[in-house]
Amino acid sequence: MNLNLTLAARYLAGRKLRTFLTTLAIVFGVVILFGMNIILPSMMQALEANMKAAAGVVDFSVTSVSGEAFDPAVMARLDGIQEITAIAPAFVRTFNLGADFFDNDPATADRITAIQLVGMDPDAVQTLRAFPIASGRFLQTSDSDAAVISQSLADALRLTVGDTLTLPTVNGLTDLTIVGLLPPRTLPGNEEVFVTLGAAQAMGGQPGRITTIDLNVALDAGDQEGRDAVAAEIQSSLGSSYVIGALTSGADVFAALQMGQAILSMFGIMALFMGGFVIHNTFRTVLMERQHDIGMLRAVGASRRTILNLFITEGLVQGVLGTLVGLALGYLFGVGILKFAEGPISTFVNIRLDTPVVEPGIVLLSIFMGIGVTVVAGVLPAVRASRISPLDALRPTSAQADFERERGRGFWVGALLVALSLVMLFIGQDAMIAAGGFVFLIGLVFLAPAIVRPITDMFSVLLGRLYAREGTGEVARGNMLRQPARVAATASATMIGLAVIVAVGAVLTSMTGTMTNLLRKNLGSDYLMVPPSIGLWASNVGASEGLAEELAAIQGVGPVATTRFAGSASEGVAISLLGIDPAIYPQVSGMAFQEGDESAYDDLAAGRSMIVNGAFLLATGAELGDTLELATPDGVQSYRIAAVAADMLNPKVTTAFISQANMAADFGRAEDVLIQLNLEEGAEAESVDSQIRALMHDYPQFNTIAGRAYVEQMLELLNVAFSALYFLLAFLAVPSLIAMLNTLAISVIERTREIGMLRAVGATRRQVRRMVTAEALLLAGIGTGMGLLSGLYLGYSWVVAMEAFFPLEYSFPIAGLIAGLSTGLIFGALAGLIPARQAAKMDVVAALRYE
Amino acid sequence: MNTVETRELTKIYGSGDTAVTALDSISIHAAEGEFVAVMGPSGCGKSTLLHLLGGLDHPTRGKVIISGQDVAEMTDDALTELRRRQMGFVFQFFNLLPVLSAVENAALPIMLDGVKPDEAKAKATEWLTRFGLADRLVNRPDQLSGGQQQRVAVARALVSEPKLVLADEPTGNLDTRSGDEIAALLREVSQKYGRTVVMVSHDPRIAAYADRIIFLKDGKVIDETVLEQKNGKNAEMVAERMTKLAH
Repeated sequence: MNLNLTLAARYLAGRKLRTFLTTLAIVFGVVILFGMNIILPSMMQALEANMKAAAGVVDFSVTSVSGEAFDPAVMARLDGIQEITAIAPAFVRTFNLGADFFDNDPATADRITAIQLVGMDPDAVQTLRAFPIASGRFLQTSDSDAAVISQSLADALRLTVGDTLTLPTVNGLTDLTIVGLLPPRTLPGNEEVFVTLGAAQAMGGQPGRITTIDLNVALDAGDQEGRDAVAAEIQSSLGSSYVIGALTSGADVFAALQMGQAILSMFGIMALFMGGFVIHNTFRTVLMERQHDIGMLRAVGASRRTILNLFITEGLVQGVLGTLVGLALGYLFGVGILKFAEGPISTFVNIRLDTPVVEPGIVLLSIFMGIGVTVVAGVLPAVRASRISPLDALRPTSAQADFERERGRGFWVGALLVALSLVMLFIGQDAMIAAGGFVFLIGLVFLAPAIVRPITDMFSVLLGRLYAREGTGEVARGNMLRQPARVAATASATMIGLAVIVAVGAVLTSMTGTMTNLLRKNLGSDYLMVPPSIGLWASNVGASEGLAEELAAIQGVGPVATTRFAGSASEGVAISLLGIDPAIYPQVSGMAFQEGDESAYDDLAAGRSMIVNGAFLLATGAELGDTLELATPDGVQSYRIAAVAADMLNPKVTTAFISQANMAADFGRAEDVLIQLNLEEGAEAESVDSQIRALMHDYPQFNTIAGRAYVEQMLELLNVAFSALYFLLAFLAVPSLIAMLNTLAISVIERTREIGMLRAVGATRRQVRRMVTAEALLLAGIGTGMGLLSGLYLGYSWVVAMEAFFPLEYSFPIAGLIAGLSTGLIFGALAGLIPARQAAKMDVVAALRYE
Repeated sequence: MNTVETRELTKIYGSGDTAVTALDSISIHAAEGEFVAVMGPSGCGKSTLLHLLGGLDHPTRGKVIISGQDVAEMTDDALTELRRRQMGFVFQFFNLLPVLSAVENAALPIMLDGVKPDEAKAKATEWLTRFGLADRLVNRPDQLSGGQQQRVAVARALVSEPKLVLADEPTGNLDTRSGDEIAALLREVSQKYGRTVVMVSHDPRIAAYADRIIFLKDGKVIDETVLEQKNGKNAEMVAERMTKLAH
């Protein structure tokens, strides 16, 4: 074996615990980075499969840019195109059914939680594609309540030809008779229910509209050039309001998932960053431990390059090992989470997860980051190692390496960065403040060696009191000051871990406060009728206006506010439009206004105005007062931004509120997807309740809840989610524990002789143990102090940055501070345990002989 | 021919008021196959001299000439190569790599020089066998006695067939018997294998194994004596001389 590899392997094997802990830090980072990035792409792939399965059977599918239904007359525009051999209109909608629609049993989730309703012209569609009926017959133009489904859907629902399939529609429950069965579905995506065009339009509440034009052309499948030419011709005939290709619906889900992925990747990279600190720290220590060995190697003829390679090889071995193990564990982690989350995910966002997706890019990124971080972290100590003079081999061990030079340079860089971050804070621009948080953190890392002394002094006063009679606190303090750079590196790792805890604490505290208020305002109505998929409105089946009218007619029911949905787009950005009645909505619900105020509701009623959320501004780059062109099924319409406000249900989705009148006129939608109502004062609660529930019985797509209970339930959920976040965060503190353990273990090894001397001159085991523990607490104290400080800044900057999405009011994170402080100190004490025992157990004679 | 020689070699540590002259215009030499011991009290500059001879440190003035080349004028890489191919070192604290076996430690310099591991180990085995360690080849340093460790270190110093072996207090960390063994071994290195050995020691009994002793005091050569290796009374003679020179 190569000499470098031999030495690296032997050295690593010689310190198994340390190698394990250091490598663990890398493993941890890679697991998070890689594992998390399996989960979301898997969900995205499932979603994409859903969408692709809908297309692809025919040569071309035409939909509206807005994703909405349009007038079939549009088909006439294609008349002149010679190559088109067959053409058929279709009305396609995803019907989200909720978890318990078919079995009515909340205990077990249904296998079928959504279906794709496909309405078509039976004659026209059969010129386009074949429907190999397995039993029964295909649809006929004269059918009104007939359906054709696949054998697999029939099996899942235990139905056969002649049976009745009941589906919720905008007009309440509709019974369909199954007239024919197709072979089992093999493609991913939702099961389809084929009905006649008229039936589908009625069930979707959009009579006379279609969502898709399917067509085939007289070209060979391989003739890409010809296809492109036809596509261009179709496009120019239709105009820019239509697109050829997959349905645009689902774009909002993509955006939400992508954002989640970005956040989780940040988390993983942060963990790796800390892993880098741990490794860097370990290498510095290794360097000190092996000064003699290195000097000797240089004396017997090893060149500088050899020494450099030796260290880098050792880093590489750990990086490769850690990354490989991390990839393996990350895969298991991702698959495990997917398995675990399969049920809830398929009910909530209505996508079925098939196989975990491993993107080559993320594998490469994980490998690059995992190994890269190790090598980068090892390079500086390696370079320093290569500079060790052979003379060092001949000198007795000097525990004190010369790190002073570094302090000077780093101090100024750090001071500059911190100053810069403060300037950024005062400039007050959102993006500046957000970036400032990180600049501050990095600045502190550089400053760390210089602030070790003051913080040590501060904490040692406390420790001095604790250990007053033994003088061990004083020794511990001395030991810290002797190695400011290494202490700083460890403290920095602790700092980053804790800063994140405190910062997230600040965000969470601020969010809880703001959200509680908004929840009460936005969803605090007496009754709420919610669809299965909140926020992802396109796949929900709502109700026609009749339902709201009937609800309003019940004695004792006050104002009924409904929300409607239509898809749209502006300059390529998918937009979720919500239609409200500007007069009633504020009485029952409400939003938190960031720019503009409630007078904007009047603007909505008066003309084409909209109230948009923060995500909308971010995605489109528009500002208050701007006028934007929104894609409608019949061309574009201009809407002016009257206010910026957030509601509870759509914070992450690019959303604009418009009036229901405009929505009906421009987008042809009048389907209520969310209903909120208040009771009149003095209404007989019980009788009203039973009447409401009786009415809602025919609309099982809605979950009818007494609003106040819902708010409480949401708040509880919120709290659970926050606790889970804190738990995850504590995980992020693990690498800093490793770093501390390392530094302490090493300082014990390094001072073996000194500890032997202390014992020889009369220090008891207990005193030695206490000395090392005091050192651990000091170290933790320094890291914690820095962590809390930077966490406060970081938290503030995050809150400010998040205000772009969501109106947040900064609250001081007392819970976060307490969590950070206790994590830091508990970890400190834990990290001291092993080295303290080791030091105390040391044999005096052997220790004195150690060189 | 001289394997190594110095001309007016001077080493000053620090500057101004705090300057300490460790070596003061020293001109010495060691011929091929000669075993030279450098003696003197602590702080006389003997270790500094050895470091300069080995190219581990740079002189303030003067020259160190090894095989006709001035060490002071060589680059770090050239010096490294010189050490690897033409010099062997024996240290007081053995300085074996704790993670390598005896034979791997002994083979280290030529492995660093790119010799194939098998070949390098075969060569190291030869030397270790000559030094009576045939049955300890695969043991790690912590499984060897001090004397055995130092013999591995001597084998390591010789494995690259260097012309010059530099030994810095090679017996300083050993008991009397092991010390004698190592001193005899170094003598064998010069007599039997024809290497030039320069050894620093403060122990008269050990220095007495050399062909010639150079006495240093306050950075200057104050005496030199050639020994007859026959009567066995050398140790007493050297000790007497040391005592006299110290005053």
